[in-house]
Amino acid sequence: MFEKEVDMQASQPEPLALNEPLILPFAPEAVACGFPSPAEGYWSGDLDLVQHLVRDPSSTYIWRAAGHSMTGAGINDGDLLLVDRGIDPVPGKIVIAVVDGEYTVKRLDVIRGRTVLLAENLDYADIVLQEHTEMSVWGVVTWILSPPKIKRGVRPRR
Amino acid sequence: MTVPTPAPDQIALVDCVSFYANAERVFDPTLHNRPTLVLSNNDGCVVAACPLVKALDPDIMGKPWFKIRGWCQAKGVEARSSNYELYGSLSARVATILGRFSAWQEVYSIDESWLKLRGTPEELEPLGQEIRRTVLQLTGIPVRVAIAPTKTLAKVAALGIKKNPAFDGVLDLRRFPEEQLDRILDSLHVTDLWGVAGRNGKRLAALGIHTARELRDADAKWLRKRFSVVMERTVLELRGQKCIELETQPRAAKDQLIYSRSFSRKITDSDEMHQVLSIYAQRVSARLRAQGSVAGVLSVWVSTGWADEGSVPHSAHKAVPLPVPTDDPITLTKACSAILAELFPAAGIRYARAGVVLTDLRRADGVQALPLFQPEFEGRGIGKVLDDITRKLGPQAVGVGLGGMKTPPEWEMKRAMLSKRCTTHWDELPVAVA
Repeated sequence: MFEKEVDMQASQPEPLALNEPLILPFAPEAVACGFPSPAEGYWSGDLDLVQHLVRDPSSTYIWRAAGHSMTGAGINDGDLLLVDRGIDPVPGKIVIAVVDGEYTVKRLDVIRGRTVLLAENLDYADIVLQEHTEMSVWGVVTWILSPPKIKRGVRPRR
Repeated sequence: MTVPTPAPDQIALVDCVSFYANAERVFDPTLHNRPTLVLSNNDGCVVAACPLVKALDPDIMGKPWFKIRGWCQAKGVEARSSNYELYGSLSARVATILGRFSAWQEVYSIDESWLKLRGTPEELEPLGQEIRRTVLQLTGIPVRVAIAPTKTLAKVAALGIKKNPAFDGVLDLRRFPEEQLDRILDSLHVTDLWGVAGRNGKRLAALGIHTARELRDADAKWLRKRFSVVMERTVLELRGQKCIELETQPRAAKDQLIYSRSFSRKITDSDEMHQVLSIYAQRVSARLRAQGSVAGVLSVWVSTGWADEGSVPHSAHKAVPLPVPTDDPITLTKACSAILAELFPAAGIRYARAGVVLTDLRRADGVQALPLFQPEFEGRGIGKVLDDITRKLGPQAVGVGLGGMKTPPEWEMKRAMLSKRCTTHWDELPVAVA
């Protein structure tokens, strides 16, 4: 009896995976009263900012920057950083790195065969990796989110 | 024309290595290569420990924190309160990533998934390594991949990976020739097997069945009569016959919702319990709205601790049917208040935990109550407003009645060594020094 059940299951076609939610598009056509909308058939949802900023939600994390060593790269104290662990940390990218048990955000580069973490503010020193320093890259910064500064009476000069 | 029959599917068990401890390490580099353990709710006892801790004390699991605190300090063992927000978030990411490797996935627990894979051991072991690399890179969580023809055998493969670092986290059990598999099953006690309870181990021993191999070679039909269909399935699965399928269908909206917690200290009077229950009712009602259901019955259970000296052990469970199935937080909070009077029948009861349970759930859009029967607050969208505010400002921002307080009440769970909830709370984001 038991084996029979198993055999039956084995001979049946396998169901498709249904573990993704089925999202149906919003259909303005369904509204049947008044004038038909001229946008009918054109509108399929507003721009989705998250979709634009996040390549893969499973590998994207939100960090906060603290400090001034990266102001030249547009990262100010307190800014939010989108960090993607699914992107290769190639030289030239801005990364979250773990150096001696601390997280730091710097630009990754290789200069004369040596891995360096560059600061983008002349008041701060670069981190040149010595043989004994342990460094690993946690993730690659993909977006810097910061509100514009409020300033008054400042005139741009040529 | 003959169509070639496809190779039978293999089952892969992917489980996270020391999940809680490694989840703590994702955002805390100081824990790398350091013995790390995680405590239960209320910092009660050890619920998870990485191998470095187990090397120092193999019996560490379950030990009460107050007894081992000094030992941890002396040995340099790091302890953390359980950070379920972080574990839940990382677990969901791991499950999503695993789902990309197979159309058939069953998320089995917070740190385990079953996948169906197709291929030879020579194909699937490299795929297992690819799964490990991907999950580790994207989440920081190390996983193991155990592959076999059945779930029960995949669990056997998982034991092998745990015991032998040479497998490097991946093992397809089919790589062993028959005699070697026999030896492996010989070395396993029946109670090491998935689905064989300890007490059945004793009963099997009385029948002369001690090892996994002896169980595999026993008469399955006879065992079914003496035990149950579960035991028969275990036997057949050990022989490589698939009996326990993957539950790949999405679980429908849950048919029961529970919000329960232990308190940081005992609750002895009705007023305080009123506050507890109204907060729990509001939290569970938020989950109810999130899944788009309404509840027909609300019940409450409360119980005293197991090791509470000098007081009577006591527990109570009361249910109230709701006049109309609802997701309205005010109606649900009021239903709790109605039960309250029955929870303290005698003086001196010291409750240690409580839960609010919603049952008889149905889809919210299937219920159309006549306005006449609508409860007083129904239809005003109070639940939605609360949810919107909570989403923006956090769970302590707003609440109904006794649930509406800014500072957390004193009885709230104690999590003194809680790490940052880096992926779920805006004010606890991980910080990188610029």
